[in-house]
Amino acid sequence: MTNLLATQRLGQKSREQLLGWGLVFPAVFIILSLILYPIIYNIYLSFFDVNLHEGNTFTGLENHRSVLMDSFFWKSVMTTVIYVFFTTVGTTLFGLIVALVMNQDFPLRGLVRSLVLFPYVAPVISVVFAWQFIFDPVNGIVMDVLVERLGFFSERVNLIGSPSSAVWIAIIFSIWKNFPFSYLMILSRLQGIDKNLFEAAEVDGASGWERFRFITLPEIYFVTGSIILLRVIWNFNKFEEIYLLTTNVKVLSIYTYFKAFVGTMDMGQGAALALIQFLLLIGFILIYVKKVLKW
Amino acid sequence: MVTKRSPIRSIGFFILIIFIVSFCIFPFFQMLSTSLKYQWDWGNPSLIPTQINTEAYKELLNVGQNLKNVPESILELLENTPDMTKAQRDTILAKYRNSGDVFPFPKYFLNSLALSGVAALLSVFIAILGAYSFSRLRFTGRSTVQRGVLFVYMFGGILLLIPLYKVCVSLGFLSTKGGTFGALLVIYMVQTLPVSLYMLGNFFRTIPFSIEEAAMIEGSSRLGTIWRIIIPLSISAIITVYIYSFMIAWNEYLFASVFLKGYKDLYTLPMGLRALFVSKNAVWDRIMAASVLTATPVIALFMIIQKNLTGGLSEGGVKG
Repeated sequence: MTNLLATQRLGQKSREQLLGWGLVFPAVFIILSLILYPIIYNIYLSFFDVNLHEGNTFTGLENHRSVLMDSFFWKSVMTTVIYVFFTTVGTTLFGLIVALVMNQDFPLRGLVRSLVLFPYVAPVISVVFAWQFIFDPVNGIVMDVLVERLGFFSERVNLIGSPSSAVWIAIIFSIWKNFPFSYLMILSRLQGIDKNLFEAAEVDGASGWERFRFITLPEIYFVTGSIILLRVIWNFNKFEEIYLLTTNVKVLSIYTYFKAFVGTMDMGQGAALALIQFLLLIGFILIYVKKVLKW
Repeated sequence: MVTKRSPIRSIGFFILIIFIVSFCIFPFFQMLSTSLKYQWDWGNPSLIPTQINTEAYKELLNVGQNLKNVPESILELLENTPDMTKAQRDTILAKYRNSGDVFPFPKYFLNSLALSGVAALLSVFIAILGAYSFSRLRFTGRSTVQRGVLFVYMFGGILLLIPLYKVCVSLGFLSTKGGTFGALLVIYMVQTLPVSLYMLGNFFRTIPFSIEEAAMIEGSSRLGTIWRIIIPLSISAIITVYIYSFMIAWNEYLFASVFLKGYKDLYTLPMGLRALFVSKNAVWDRIMAASVLTATPVIALFMIIQKNLTGGLSEGGVKG
């Protein structure tokens, strides 16, 4: 009898194994063949002079070497670092402030909460034009205010048009577009904090700042840390949000895109660039996870 | 926690809220306002148009455009020859339609709709099975697979673009319209798949297993319970995930820009709008009207799923 039960349980277990794998197989297969395989293939391509219709020629480390020797590459690494740093800090801080505000009670809170999410859900392609218009030197409101009303500039300038200022516009745009994500994550963590903690602190005479510093901040440390990590990963790889707003900001993704698909279309070097970009990211993640998240 | 605030602090607080809200929605008002302005009104910093101009919308949606640009004399001629067949009339009219710089908005809209709609459908279908497997079944390698799915978050599109483009060219997909469409469809599906898997997996875990167990005691198979119990119980979550995947695909530009290079007919909205913007026919009111029309369905869908989505987003840590 016990024997019979055991075999039956075993049978059910292996049936579950089989079903488990069977159900997840399509997803795993698609992800492996469209994500893992291309990454490996990208590494492979980075060693070749890639020709789209004929065979590739093996060139060894030539692509990597010429990418690393190129001063444009280092310039675009710098641009990427500036972009990633300021967008990450900006989205996190602004998201935190908005989350703290939305955690209070006030009239029409429901409506305000959904309006705040608009930048995050709207298609990039449609909002970039609104931003282009806002900064347009002839018609835009920014120049109107800065030149005509405040007199900061003596003449209207094209902020998106020049590479040195365009990166800052791209940063502001990215903060506007992505802060709702940080806000949502932090808000949902804030709502999970035990209210008694605050009440006890208040009884003990803690000021608002002290309550924030010693209760709220430790409670949201982990979620904020994870948001920063995700933000760095996503912003490091950002393409559309920058490229559609302005092609003047040559972060690594855009630089790679131009290398591989515009002009001479050097896909081998493009692949080498994408690989180097990926390795830089992995390096950062490893350090961050160890030092900040202390996993 | 509700504490009494001094009036000055309350006023400060409301100013802060007003600042946040205007920062968020100002670009949307700018978009709407410019799309309704005449060209002579663009430099006017006020968001309210001096005079409403709906011409851009009419042109994009092809409303009342048939007889535009047709000379009076031709119209008269058509009117005075009643025995002409409809086909003949249309051929004459077609000559005067300035097809050169008409932006085929409805076509791009339908392309986007078809691509995003089908890709999201496939993604959700495959994700339902995978997510069920994650949340209910025990099998070796489950956690590896689950973590592997999250790993996908780390790859930017640019890393996949070159190899996938090369593969699709080598396999000859990009030499036909159908192949190009299919290739993009699959790429969009895989981009939305991790999100779908994650969000659905989280949701399925909230459904008590006892309901399923009861059905299985009654003799229902695992697949039967997915179909009869899990799907009906989580239909609102499934719709949310579908719409979210749809939105991701609707936004996509990087792959479309490379894959659709040769096929103007297959352009999606992001491709079309970008092409319009860099063309010599770029006119602010048209671009803004197209932007408004591109954003509208997405924002409308978002309003429908808002409650579920915000929950799912903060639980799942969804890509953006």
